[in-house]
Amino acid sequence: MDKYTQAAWIIPLFPLVAFLVLTALGRSYRRAGVFIGSLGSLAAFAMSLLILTDRLSGSEVDYNHSFDWIAIGDYTLRIGFEVTNLTALMLVVVTLVSFIVNVYSAGYMKDDERITVFYGYVALFTFSMLGLVLSDNLLSFYIFWELVGVCSFLLIGFWFTLPKARAAAKKAFIVTRIGDAGLLLAILLLFWYMPDHALDFTTIQSVFDGQSGAITNGITTLIALLIFLGAMGKSGQFPLHVWLPDAMEGPTPISALIHAATMVAAGVFLVARTYDIFQDSAAAMETIAYIGGFTAIFAATIALAQNDIKRILAYSTVSQLGYMMMALGLGSLTGGIFHLFTHAFFKALLFLGAGSIIHAVHTQNINEMGGLGSKMKVTAWTFAIGALALAGIPPLSGFWSKDLILSIAWETNPLLFVVGLATAFCTALYMSRLFFLVFTGKPSAATSGAKESSALMTVPLVVLAALALAAGFIETPWNGWFGGWLNDGAEEAHDSAVAIVASIAVGLLGIYIGWLVYGKRSVSSSALRENTPWLVRVLERSYYMDEFYAAVIVKPLKLIGSALTAFDIYVIGGIVRLTGAAVSTAGKTAARLQNGQVQTYGLAAVIGFVILVVAIVGRRFLP
Amino acid sequence: MLPSYLTMAAILFCIGLYGALVKRNAVVVLLSLELMLNAVNLNLIAFSKYGVAPSLTGQIFSLFTITVAAAEAAIGVAILIALFRLRGTVNVDEFNKMRR
Amino acid sequence: MFNIDFTGEFAAFFVFSAIMICGAVLMISLEKVVHMVISMAAVFLGLAGMFVLLEAEFVAFVQVLIYAGAVSILMIFGIMMTKHQAAEREPAKPLHETLAAVGALSLFGVLFYAIRITTFPEAGNFNPGEDNTMAIGELLYTGYVIPFELLSVLLTVAFIGAIVLAKKEADE
Repeated sequence: MDKYTQAAWIIPLFPLVAFLVLTALGRSYRRAGVFIGSLGSLAAFAMSLLILTDRLSGSEVDYNHSFDWIAIGDYTLRIGFEVTNLTALMLVVVTLVSFIVNVYSAGYMKDDERITVFYGYVALFTFSMLGLVLSDNLLSFYIFWELVGVCSFLLIGFWFTLPKARAAAKKAFIVTRIGDAGLLLAILLLFWYMPDHALDFTTIQSVFDGQSGAITNGITTLIALLIFLGAMGKSGQFPLHVWLPDAMEGPTPISALIHAATMVAAGVFLVARTYDIFQDSAAAMETIAYIGGFTAIFAATIALAQNDIKRILAYSTVSQLGYMMMALGLGSLTGGIFHLFTHAFFKALLFLGAGSIIHAVHTQNINEMGGLGSKMKVTAWTFAIGALALAGIPPLSGFWSKDLILSIAWETNPLLFVVGLATAFCTALYMSRLFFLVFTGKPSAATSGAKESSALMTVPLVVLAALALAAGFIETPWNGWFGGWLNDGAEEAHDSAVAIVASIAVGLLGIYIGWLVYGKRSVSSSALRENTPWLVRVLERSYYMDEFYAAVIVKPLKLIGSALTAFDIYVIGGIVRLTGAAVSTAGKTAARLQNGQVQTYGLAAVIGFVILVVAIVGRRFLP
Repeated sequence: MLPSYLTMAAILFCIGLYGALVKRNAVVVLLSLELMLNAVNLNLIAFSKYGVAPSLTGQIFSLFTITVAAAEAAIGVAILIALFRLRGTVNVDEFNKMRR
Repeated sequence: MFNIDFTGEFAAFFVFSAIMICGAVLMISLEKVVHMVISMAAVFLGLAGMFVLLEAEFVAFVQVLIYAGAVSILMIFGIMMTKHQAAEREPAKPLHETLAAVGALSLFGVLFYAIRITTFPEAGNFNPGEDNTMAIGELLYTGYVIPFELLSVLLTVAFIGAIVLAKKEADE
């Protein structure tokens, strides 16, 4: 049953064609641009759904098609595409979110002058992301990996007239590059050590899965950690997470598409795709688990103290990505991918809801909002669903995926279980804080005139809310279907009553405290600030990570940079100027001969003539 | 006798050349040019008598040369006067504006 | 080296060449421009004498008429009309002068060397004609009539050109 799967290579072409057409059309075709962009993603989505049905109807074998791309000596590089259950799932997630964001942007961006450019970028991003998902080898994967980075850069800096957006775009690009360098090194190492220099995932899987011993343990760990470095950069894991909150300077639909649902999940996807390498190295797995767990709690605590609605969601994304990494590190591919799947929906929903709010009240500070619940009913209800899903309240999707991760943690690593629980508590707390501050209470000056957004923006919210409600039921403690499907039959069901009870308890506790402080206001919200001002300040400043990087990395680099600049200006530039001056002096000297003095010319002619004659005649006297 | 005449012509020519290259006054430069032309005339006439095939052609040629030299002198002096009106000088080393 | 018979021609040649070299050197070294022109006239006259020695009486006559007469007078007019400094200034370009002297001397050296080493073939018999003037006239109006007519055109052009050049600025 591979009739659609064979044509999977068409999927990325839809957005690519859309991008090319949009670029060719120019800025004047605003409505046509929106239509083309949406149509491209819709076609890709439809095709992805067909492929998913293929996979669901029982294709056990991964479909792979590739051709020779470059032949160097006796080494042949093949590229192609591969459809597995994992990639089919990712295809659907990416195209669905992309389509929804396309529709949503038609409302959100309708007054923007460069909406056609925006749609072009989004289409290019969708193309790159789909190419990344479909790649069957690490090299083309890396190409698309960089392409999504470029699109992210372009879209974060979409409003490039704002200095903050420019800085954020640069920061995102540079910080992720650190990770990309790691990934590149990993690919080079793999190329060096793999039998036949093979880079395709199938061969990688068989080499590492079979314990063939072709690659020593140390090298395996090194490769795994370098790959994880790439994943850290893209997925915003500590300590490379600093770009993600700043990336919120981009348009909100972009935050939903790239920085919540798809691109940041590419790191998780990368680890999942090369999971066999990680499974060979216990050290790498532990590193992933602990970094993921630390990122989760670290970002969640920061999110507690932020006031910008998008930054709260951004830190929440970092935290949830930490969850996914933790699950992967604990050995559960299902847990990580399942959480990626549900998170894509409810976090996109939350971002789009936040976009709807920002569109209505023109501020991002939650302290300036309030009482929006009665004015923006659809946004409020869908946002509530997203927030509850994120907080992990049953039966919403976030609960099932988070519960799965916590169950695994309970079984394997109690320390990380505690960390996960604490993170869940913080998550529930900051989401309830966000929700109550924005939607309940008295309307403020900013919100008094707010109106519900147009249908173009609310319908995507409703669709995503439905998905956030229902997506979790594919994998429940009593139904391990998803895990079985993803792992080709090997089910890994986890049903730990402790984990279920504990996660529900901390979720409800977090929401209750949030309600007490920000909803009912029976506890003063400033009490903590008065008692431990340093703690609040540290959290507000994100543990001073930016300042730390500025002092430890940016400043020394700038110093080296200015030293090198000085070297360039005074030494290299000096040599260049010296050369230039020498040439120009020679030129001036020669030009002085051309002084317009006819007698000088005549003299030169006479001397030249004499020399010529002597030279010719003088040959006679030579032997 | 021919080498003596040719040597004489060479002496005249080189003195004229030196004067044309060194003198600043344009009138003197013109005079030096005339001297060089005369040296050539001397050569022509010397060869017309002592050459391999002596004939009057050498004299005819020297007549032509004299004519051209006269025309040249007239034009030269006219240009000199025009330049003098324009620039107020007859110094050759100040006639260097053609480079701009 | 100079195995020359002391004939009458040689004596006359010696006298004329002495005049000419003196005139030329004076022309170079005198300070007043008018004096230069006068010494130049001496060179022209000496040359005319040399032409007579070479049996070119008509050319010698023309030489006196045009050079010693017309060109010298023209130069004097040129000097007068440009009312330049009567005296040549001190040279400010010693390097240039030295180089020019070296160039002219080495050119002379080359020429002199060439003249000395050349073996000139025995001269044929020169026939200046019964009447030199008539012979030249016949030749001029038969074999060389086209160059002659061209020269007359050239002279006309030069004549008109000189007038235009000298007159042009006066109008303004």
